[in-house]
Amino acid sequence: MKAFIALLAALLVTGCATPVKTDLSAFRAANPRSILVVPAVNKTLNVDAPNYLLTTLTVPLAEKGFYVFPVHTARTVLEQEGFYEGDAIHQQPPQALASLFGADAILYVTINRWDAQYALITTTVTVNFDYRLVSKDGTELWKANKQMQYAPQNQNAGHPLATLLVAAVTAAMTRADPNYLPLAVMANEQVFNTDATAIPAGPYRLVN
Amino acid sequence: MHKSMLFSAALLMLGGCAQKGLYDWGGYSGLMYQNYKKPESVSANLVLLQTHVTALEGRSTKVAPGLYADLGTLYLQAGDRVRAVENYRKERAAWPESAGLMDGMIKTLANNPGEEKKT
Repeated sequence: MKAFIALLAALLVTGCATPVKTDLSAFRAANPRSILVVPAVNKTLNVDAPNYLLTTLTVPLAEKGFYVFPVHTARTVLEQEGFYEGDAIHQQPPQALASLFGADAILYVTINRWDAQYALITTTVTVNFDYRLVSKDGTELWKANKQMQYAPQNQNAGHPLATLLVAAVTAAMTRADPNYLPLAVMANEQVFNTDATAIPAGPYRLVN
Repeated sequence: MHKSMLFSAALLMLGGCAQKGLYDWGGYSGLMYQNYKKPESVSANLVLLQTHVTALEGRSTKVAPGLYADLGTLYLQAGDRVRAVENYRKERAAWPESAGLMDGMIKTLANNPGEEKKT
């Protein structure tokens, strides 16, 4: 029991500590108030991935204290300018994009993986993103890579054969409709908030 | 012993690092996801987002960044330019960082009166 309490105490002490590794001096110097999230470059075969990812980035950045430009409106404006694909948008000078929206910084994401690998009785779902934040003058403020994986645990149904059956059913369900979105949400949450790559708080988080 | 103590320690561990949320999003991300996944649900999602924003206004709670503007764009795509401009103005008033973009949207709509945009 004592050992358990000591362990809890140790967890309490260390739980929040994040090792400082990422160089945030450029980020702090630029001190952005607003972030434009542009459609991602997609290096995967899943054509829906950029649209889905776009819906997961506003909340963590806004909750971090930044003004995040409305992603649906921004995408519509970019389409009116003739930009439909992440590739073309990422190739534009950041200065031009920033001035079109009046943004202090732009978040570029490249989707490296958004896939489900099938095996006999289990399916592993993987997402992998490169994140890059660039200031309105073109300076790189921050970058990170994040991978998240999910493999349904083999549920123990007691009897070995039953356990195998349960696992096979779970894998089949994952195969039919792999759930990428929670993985993307988790990747964003960790990369911005809890990993060594965590970014500084924005102005609306600081005033509250 | 001290079940309550252990319990509060566990609570602290869970809650200790979590920052208090700044905004009530009202399922905004999920609605936007549904707009892409099921385009036939867009008009229903517009109503849900409007209901959420109206409720926040009723409680004098600050509406999260981008909600007014994206609501405005959904109205614009449904052909309702008046409500689109109304929401762009609200976004601009709530969030000074949006001024450049919102002024641009409002100006474009004022300069092209008859042209309906549908996506």
